[in-house]
Amino acid sequence: MGDTELELSPAQLEELQKSPSASSTSTTSSLSLPSSPSSGPRPLTSSSPSTSEGLPTSSPPLDVISEGVGELSLVIDTEVAKKACQEVLQKVKFLKADGEVSSASSEPVLVNGTAHPLSTDGGKPPKISEEEAEPVKNVRRRQKNNSSKQSWLLRLFESKLFDISMGISYLYNSKEPGVQAYIGNRLFSFRNEEVDFYLPQLLNMYIHMDEDVGDAIKPYVVHRCRQSINFSLQCAWLLGAYSSDMHISTQRHSRGTKLRKLILSDELKPSSQRIRREVPQPPPSCPPPLHHGQGMSEHSLSPSKRTHQRSKSDATISISLSSNLKRTASNPKVETSQDEPVRLTPQREFIKSLMGIGKRLATLPTKEQKTQRLISELSLLNHKLPARVWLPTAAFDHHVVRVPHTQAVVLNSKDKAPYLIYVEVLECENFETSSVPVRIPETQIRSTRSVENLPNCGISPDQRASSFSTVPNYDNDDEAWSVDDIGELQVELPEIHTNSCDNISQFSVDSITSQESKEPIFIAAGDIRRRLSEQLAHTPTTFKRDPEDPSAVALKEPWQEKVRRIREGSPYGHLPNWRLLSVIVKCGDDLRQELLAYQVLKQLQIIWEQERVPLWIKPYKILVISSDSGMIEPVVNAVSIHQVKKQSQLSLLDYFRQEHGNYNTEEFLTAQRNFVQSCAGYCLICYLLQVKDRHNGNILLDSEGHIIHIDFGFILSSSPRNLGFETSAFKLTSEFVDVMGGLDGDMFNYYKMLMLQGLIAARKHMEKVVQIVEIMQQGSQLPCFHGSSTIRNLKERFHMNLTEEQLQVLVEQMVDGSMRSITTKLYDGFQYLTNGIM
Amino acid sequence: MAQIEKKAGLLRRTSSSKKPLKEKVVLMYDEIFAKEDPTKNNPRFWDELFLMKVNLEYLEGKLESLDGDEVMKIKDNINSLFHHCVQALGEEHQIKVVNALQTLCALFRGVHQKNKSATGFDIINMLMGFDKAELRMKELMESLDSLLCGDGSESLKSLCLKLLLCLVTVTDNISQNTILEYVMINSIFEAILRILSDVSSRAQHGYDAVVLLALLVNYRKYESVNPYIVKLSIVDDEPTLDGMGMVIHHALTEYNRQYKDKEEENQGGFFSTLSSMVGSMFIADADEKLSVQTNEAILLALYEAVHLNRNFITVLAQSHPEIEMATTPATPVPASPTTPLGTTPPSLDSELFFCAHLTIDFLCVFSDEHRLNSARLCLIILTCIAEDQYADAFLHDDNMNFRVNLHRMPMRHRKKAADKSIPSRPLVCAVLDLMVEFIITHMMKEFPMDLYVRCVQIIHKLICYQKKCRIRMHYTWRELWSALINLLKFLLSNETILLAKHNIFQLALQVVNLFNMFITYGDTFLPTPSSYDELYYEIIRMHQVFENLYCMVLRVSTNAGQWKEPASKVTHALVNVRAIINHFNPKIESYAAVNHISQLSEDQVLEVVRSNYDTLTLKLQDGLDQFERYSEQPREAGFFKELVRSISLNVRKNVSLSTMSQDVLLKEFSSIS
Repeated sequence: MGDTELELSPAQLEELQKSPSASSTSTTSSLSLPSSPSSGPRPLTSSSPSTSEGLPTSSPPLDVISEGVGELSLVIDTEVAKKACQEVLQKVKFLKADGEVSSASSEPVLVNGTAHPLSTDGGKPPKISEEEAEPVKNVRRRQKNNSSKQSWLLRLFESKLFDISMGISYLYNSKEPGVQAYIGNRLFSFRNEEVDFYLPQLLNMYIHMDEDVGDAIKPYVVHRCRQSINFSLQCAWLLGAYSSDMHISTQRHSRGTKLRKLILSDELKPSSQRIRREVPQPPPSCPPPLHHGQGMSEHSLSPSKRTHQRSKSDATISISLSSNLKRTASNPKVETSQDEPVRLTPQREFIKSLMGIGKRLATLPTKEQKTQRLISELSLLNHKLPARVWLPTAAFDHHVVRVPHTQAVVLNSKDKAPYLIYVEVLECENFETSSVPVRIPETQIRSTRSVENLPNCGISPDQRASSFSTVPNYDNDDEAWSVDDIGELQVELPEIHTNSCDNISQFSVDSITSQESKEPIFIAAGDIRRRLSEQLAHTPTTFKRDPEDPSAVALKEPWQEKVRRIREGSPYGHLPNWRLLSVIVKCGDDLRQELLAYQVLKQLQIIWEQERVPLWIKPYKILVISSDSGMIEPVVNAVSIHQVKKQSQLSLLDYFRQEHGNYNTEEFLTAQRNFVQSCAGYCLICYLLQVKDRHNGNILLDSEGHIIHIDFGFILSSSPRNLGFETSAFKLTSEFVDVMGGLDGDMFNYYKMLMLQGLIAARKHMEKVVQIVEIMQQGSQLPCFHGSSTIRNLKERFHMNLTEEQLQVLVEQMVDGSMRSITTKLYDGFQYLTNGIM
Repeated sequence: MAQIEKKAGLLRRTSSSKKPLKEKVVLMYDEIFAKEDPTKNNPRFWDELFLMKVNLEYLEGKLESLDGDEVMKIKDNINSLFHHCVQALGEEHQIKVVNALQTLCALFRGVHQKNKSATGFDIINMLMGFDKAELRMKELMESLDSLLCGDGSESLKSLCLKLLLCLVTVTDNISQNTILEYVMINSIFEAILRILSDVSSRAQHGYDAVVLLALLVNYRKYESVNPYIVKLSIVDDEPTLDGMGMVIHHALTEYNRQYKDKEEENQGGFFSTLSSMVGSMFIADADEKLSVQTNEAILLALYEAVHLNRNFITVLAQSHPEIEMATTPATPVPASPTTPLGTTPPSLDSELFFCAHLTIDFLCVFSDEHRLNSARLCLIILTCIAEDQYADAFLHDDNMNFRVNLHRMPMRHRKKAADKSIPSRPLVCAVLDLMVEFIITHMMKEFPMDLYVRCVQIIHKLICYQKKCRIRMHYTWRELWSALINLLKFLLSNETILLAKHNIFQLALQVVNLFNMFITYGDTFLPTPSSYDELYYEIIRMHQVFENLYCMVLRVSTNAGQWKEPASKVTHALVNVRAIINHFNPKIESYAAVNHISQLSEDQVLEVVRSNYDTLTLKLQDGLDQFERYSEQPREAGFFKELVRSISLNVRKNVSLSTMSQDVLLKEFSSIS
């Protein structure tokens, strides 16, 4: 039974041997009595947990561990170390002989304060230990049999090599409640981000595996939920999504559903308001409120001034505005931060309305209608922003302040209506505690963008003055329209100059200044014509607008360009912490497979990076909201190969030359290398994961020449309509080979070499990849797990039994096979016929 | 109480056959018009009065029939009637409220019809009495305000709005309606906004509310400070502005739909077209006029909103799905748009679209005074829009594409645009198309000079924006150029007729300066280098027109006379165009001579143009990219006065207070007792 526990993967073994601390222990100590110094310092460092109380920052614990190992093991007196080790050993051996001892002894093991809130939580720990006390007898019995194995195991657990990946693996494979409980506790000592990566696995185990595993995981999840709204919602969504494959009757009473309800009931607040008090609402910490403050006070103090600008009235007339306007509340609704009772609600509503839009779009017949509807729906959504909402796919804390609705596009899909929105956010320290930004009305763009508010726009004051003074004011009826509009017309000009540094616009300045000097100015017609063609030559190539494919133009625009453009048009754009994010909202699609693919890709990316194989892949973040909705982080600066070919009407190679310059130019070679590295990476991915449905609409090309595969709807055991197309290992068309410089080129050899290296590296760490998939298979009805041999086949594709020479042959064969594969071509033809994808 | 009602109804029905029997309510009216205090005989007189169904015609007729002196005699009774009406508005009993509202309406109307010559102060005195007037009106406005904002019956709200509309339109010239002074002091602006911001009330009363607001804004607009103007200009509550936009939007949609229906009917072959055209000349006239006139009110509302409120522009730029989002946190109902009109699908096109669309509708067929007014108003609205940066940004937004179906007038020399597949483009293209369409379709004897000037101004403003922001629209500028050149041609050939009425030099100068914009600043906004070549080609091709124009303006400017000054401006403006012609024409001729070609093809001319740019020198002209901003006063004041007068007349005619909801109201409220 304990076989799996001792079966260390080759990578683990190798690391274990390489690691200095582990090797030193193996030489100095016997198997049965581990006096590993690595376990020594832990209780010491944890002896003052109260100091790190409060907001448990995630990174310190690891540092503490490693530093502890490195330094303290040398300094610490062996007696102490031995004692401490024995303590730990004791704990594992007589795991939870009684509840009190266990909780007492387990505490030192937890290196830092992370665990502290749990134990001080009041009420909680006893409950856990009660539950855990039951299987003690079993544990003891088993312990006798595997005491030697246990000690090995313990040493592994205590070693600094023990990472979250191993933890998850043992949690899944071990049948020992003690081990499971131990790992459950150890979760607290990992950094939040590390554990978050395996959150789907953890929750899937919680839902579908036996109670021991669930009990081991729950405290950690509950603890994290208390800390973070984001984590709470993520958990709730994942729990919902992964419970959905259960039968309705069992689902209702399942553990997963119960936990989900508990989270959504919002009972898992921070146990006291301690955290909140520690991080006081920081008034001066972020600049935006300050700016707003100014804007607002101006705004509210001078209604009569605004009136004066626009209306016919005399400012001198005192109409009791304040009393009459009280009901209209002309002030924008400022959401004051009294969101205590509704911790999760704003975000849930935000997501819900995004999904609602998707559902309604799906009912419209044409892309054009969908686009218009989307834009108008988003403009309504804007009225409710800013709010305490955020995009979960982002990497930093922020509040969403505005959705530039005119920029949103509907993506190409036949019956569903996925859409891409851009979201303006203001970065903040902590979206839970930082105050929500104040709303700035759309029309305030003018004032916020005026030169006065842009400190570094590089115009000297006299320059500005001159441009002002030379502007004649024709308007005699100056009360009706404010003068500042005219002023601004001219003021904006120099601003554009300094930004774009073009020479054309000197022209317009000339036209103004020429009024002063009465001498006529002559210009050459040829110059005008030349400037026009130069101007156009400098603008990057764009795609032509196609109502049937509205996303092509939006995606082709360089991201930086788009950010600049949207920032200019946004009333919030002047704020220093303004950021632009984008997200694809999918409604009616199951993203669980996408999430699985993301995890595998990410894992492989880490492995390749670790093994220094220069393969390039781009895992994009996935947010599963339910079993039929979610969000995707778009890949920026990338358009699909289908769009490239349709718009440019060029072969891929010619397109590369158009975008990056001729062969042998630096740009082209870089782009080509990028192409090869990404191509090799994705070919391996496609092979290992058996990614199907590889038509050109599902392969993106970014502005640097990388390809990026998207849409992992058909992986592992599933393929579209099971037509049996795409039998080749991966997609490699002759066009791709052309870009790589042909079959005989160096780059093509490089490509094959990369694939081999990548496969060898992946093979070394196969367990890490396989376990991600294997755990998610639990209780899943996803098509990718169809059949019984999914995992076995996956493992086989790593070819553990082949020598490197044999692997090389294999790669050659696969490349040849894919090249010759008629099915790829056939499949493209099939897609062209059915979906119009080139 | 119900008994009384029944009795009244019974009596009335019989009264038509047998003459002398009078309703009880009529008897009571008679008592009021007797000099005695009606409460003398019956202390509960007023209570009873408001329980009875109002006889509007009788009351109005009675008031009308009195002459000034007689009225003064019964002034106390009328004052007291007014007073009790106002008091009854606060009653719990809804029937009383309804009757009081209607009685008030009859009072306002009756008094005004009678006293056409009387001053506003006389009327106030007659209705309320000088000493009490302020108090009474305050009470009245407060009651109306609370009725409009309360949760009461929708029919009641509707009646309140009708009363207000009635009050606002009792005089032909709204500014002479002195009672409105009290409406200014006791503002109901907030109540109107409230109606517009609420989805359900907007659907039912939006139209009336918007018209009322448009009229109130025009009360003594130029003479005094109108608080409604002030307030309208600072509204920035988005749901409210949205609501206003939506109401206007729906009214215009409805109009466009009607127009389109009519047009589509006409597509049954030549004969049916002809016959229905002739037919509609006689039949359709009446009701068409009505719809056009009601739309004047809506257009005025749109204008005031656009002109006064800068926040409204942002609303204008948005489109309106009538869906309540997130206010109902329940599961989103599968798209159930609650469009007030019911017939239109959730329409997503923007306001501007309709404005544009509407304009062409008006422009293409305008013949009478009303259409001319509407066209003018539409162009003014477009002018305001073209001047606003935010709206311009929206118009030019490459991401916001619309398919705008412009009505193209069938003309002799061109086929009726057969292709229905208009590409979806940024709205500015539609606006430009509209202007081009206008220019080529209205060169007629009754030359609408004013509209042409506005039209060219709009184009100029749009181009200035494009130049400033370096926006290169992929627009077929060539159509615009040839339309403008044709316009010059028309001006030239009708010089003598037109000069009698208009200053054609102003328009000519504007047109030439548009060309100067293209010539000197073309590099900043033209889409391609070849479009710049085409500009030259077009000028060279039509050089005769420019040369003739130059001769003409030169002739006029050398003669002393009123046109000397404007004509000489045109000669100066023509300098670059003439330089181009004089530069390229010899080159083209020599090219033809060298290659022995009699007629050069377009490509060949373009070739010559391209290779000879460098030797051409142009003069930079001042102020090409500057324009006079639109201002309502003083230039447009007269127009708006007349417009408001016509709208007032029309609204007064159409406020159907008596017929409207009487039955509904009774049904609704009779169950209460």
